[in-house]
Amino acid sequence: MRRIAGALGLLLAALLPAAAPAQPAPPPAAHPVFEELALAPPPGGRPAILPPAPTAPLLVQSPPLLPDAPAPLLPPLPPPPAPVPAPVPAPAAPVLDAPAAATPRPALVAELSQARVEITTGFTGTELLVFGATDRLIGPQPGAGHGDDVLIVAQNAPQPMVVRRKIRVLGFWINGPSARFRSVPGVYLLTGTRPLREMLSADERSTKRLGLENLPLESTGIQDPSYRQALLQLKQDAHLWWEADTPLRIAGARLFSARLPLPATVQTGDYRVEVMLVRDGRVLARQELGFRVERVGTAASIADVARQEPLVYGVICILLAAFAGWMGSVLFRRS
Amino acid sequence: MQVYLPIAEMSVDALLLLGIGFGVGWLSGMFGVGGGFLLTPILILIGIPSPVAVASGANQTLGASVSGLIAQWRKGNVDLKMGGVLLAGGFTGSFLGVQLFAWLRRQGQVDLAVSIFYVVVLGSVGALMVRESVRAILRRRQKGAKPKRLHAHFWMHGLPFKMRFRKSRLYISVIPPLLVGFSIGVLSAVMGVGGGFMLVPAMIYLLGMPTSVVIGTSLFQVVFVAANVTLLQAVSTGSVDIVLTLLLLIGGVAGAQFGAAMGTRLRGEETRALLGAMVLAVALSLLWGLVATPESAFVIGPLP
Repeated sequence: MRRIAGALGLLLAALLPAAAPAQPAPPPAAHPVFEELALAPPPGGRPAILPPAPTAPLLVQSPPLLPDAPAPLLPPLPPPPAPVPAPVPAPAAPVLDAPAAATPRPALVAELSQARVEITTGFTGTELLVFGATDRLIGPQPGAGHGDDVLIVAQNAPQPMVVRRKIRVLGFWINGPSARFRSVPGVYLLTGTRPLREMLSADERSTKRLGLENLPLESTGIQDPSYRQALLQLKQDAHLWWEADTPLRIAGARLFSARLPLPATVQTGDYRVEVMLVRDGRVLARQELGFRVERVGTAASIADVARQEPLVYGVICILLAAFAGWMGSVLFRRS
Repeated sequence: MQVYLPIAEMSVDALLLLGIGFGVGWLSGMFGVGGGFLLTPILILIGIPSPVAVASGANQTLGASVSGLIAQWRKGNVDLKMGGVLLAGGFTGSFLGVQLFAWLRRQGQVDLAVSIFYVVVLGSVGALMVRESVRAILRRRQKGAKPKRLHAHFWMHGLPFKMRFRKSRLYISVIPPLLVGFSIGVLSAVMGVGGGFMLVPAMIYLLGMPTSVVIGTSLFQVVFVAANVTLLQAVSTGSVDIVLTLLLLIGGVAGAQFGAAMGTRLRGEETRALLGAMVLAVALSLLWGLVATPESAFVIGPLP
């Protein structure tokens, strides 16, 4: 797994400098067979393509990809595989069983730079790299309109939140009426090759619940759209919710990479990253990845003790503070 | 240098915290108070959530007062009996105060309550201190001022359950010290302060204790009440951040030594007037925070 990720990283690094401009831009003529194939994987929440097995075919077939950037001449698309085999790549190592050409090529492969984000005592936020490759060309194509699109959404488990409106009572601003939102993702980060609005229609966005405007935020208590707006605004101000303004990076028209900003206030726990392939306003393939945000080292043990043994933690705090005060006075009196 | 606070779940500049600790320690060393009443509002101002600021402030007060208590204890300036009575009231008060705090937190009114407590308490204490010290300064300027009586007798001295406090040379009812201890305990829990700046005047003017034992005894009370508040906050709200506390303490202990050296060069009345003005300034800035139109008309928080 790590080796594959590393290899992909190398591949990406090798290709990034030789950027896209010299692209031959083969006509992105939709191949009916291939389209059918790409369409098949998505049903169900299960990732269409899962590492490590699925990434193997990419590596096997990467030779045709590699010369992509340097060599101006290139067969436009790999020969479409026969439609008969199952669209989901067989878990049995395809390297040994089948010749590379016969293996169906995944429409989309993605990976994260790290499966764990560690919060140490020096944590000030970080960036998570999502990278991958597509089978067909992505991003703007010179002279030939727009290729496929890639959409990346990262979020964690939703939790209940309360939004209070401040009201003025006797000249003082106090917390007044409140709306309770049952499931609010603590973090929601979205980026893609184009702004979401251009990629998917409003209907598609709302049925797939994509984008900040389509988050399923049902509230109890006061029913007023301004509470929802305030939640959106304050979450974005805190950099916990984010819809990228700029497109993610594309290299060689097939490799993409995006940096998801995680602020210092990021919550611990499991996160889900969905990478989607979009063509003609529809999601064709998707892959689900995950990472975990954990406190490590001193920060982790302090938080653990405080939660699990509050009494012990309280006593430790008292003793430590008393000791520090006493130590300090001894040290500074002498000097 | 950023440091991640594990309980506050945010990262703050460690140098900023050390600096705040130093500044507050310097002032508290100069004026002989714990400085909790300055520390908690400043922490809230730099974005530490109120519950963490209050709980860690109490913990810091404990540490900052320990060395003072040890010094006073060596000089024999602690009236243990009076301290014990104050403490009995203080424990009850801080226990109820922490319950009150947890209830306010569930109501979503913690920030408001903490601010109001600060404005009312600091406003009145600051005003009293300024008035008293200005009068003292004026009296000093007039020649031949009348000598003051040790303490005046009023209704308080008719209360039952009288007790003899040898070290304080007092024979008074236990009810006033119990009440004083109780109210300081409540304030300590809600405001995250040791309460020294209120306890000292109360002991001098209300109980009529001699100044020599007031500082030691109030430190005794502050240390134990702050320890109790720390423990109760850790158990009931889980908002004591030890990393925050220790950073503040490191700065604070160093600052206190410089402040104490400077404080000896100031006259008593001037010191009190300055302290009173500072207390008033904190109260006014908090009042402004309550009255000024907020940046956002909404606040969000986790469902308690």
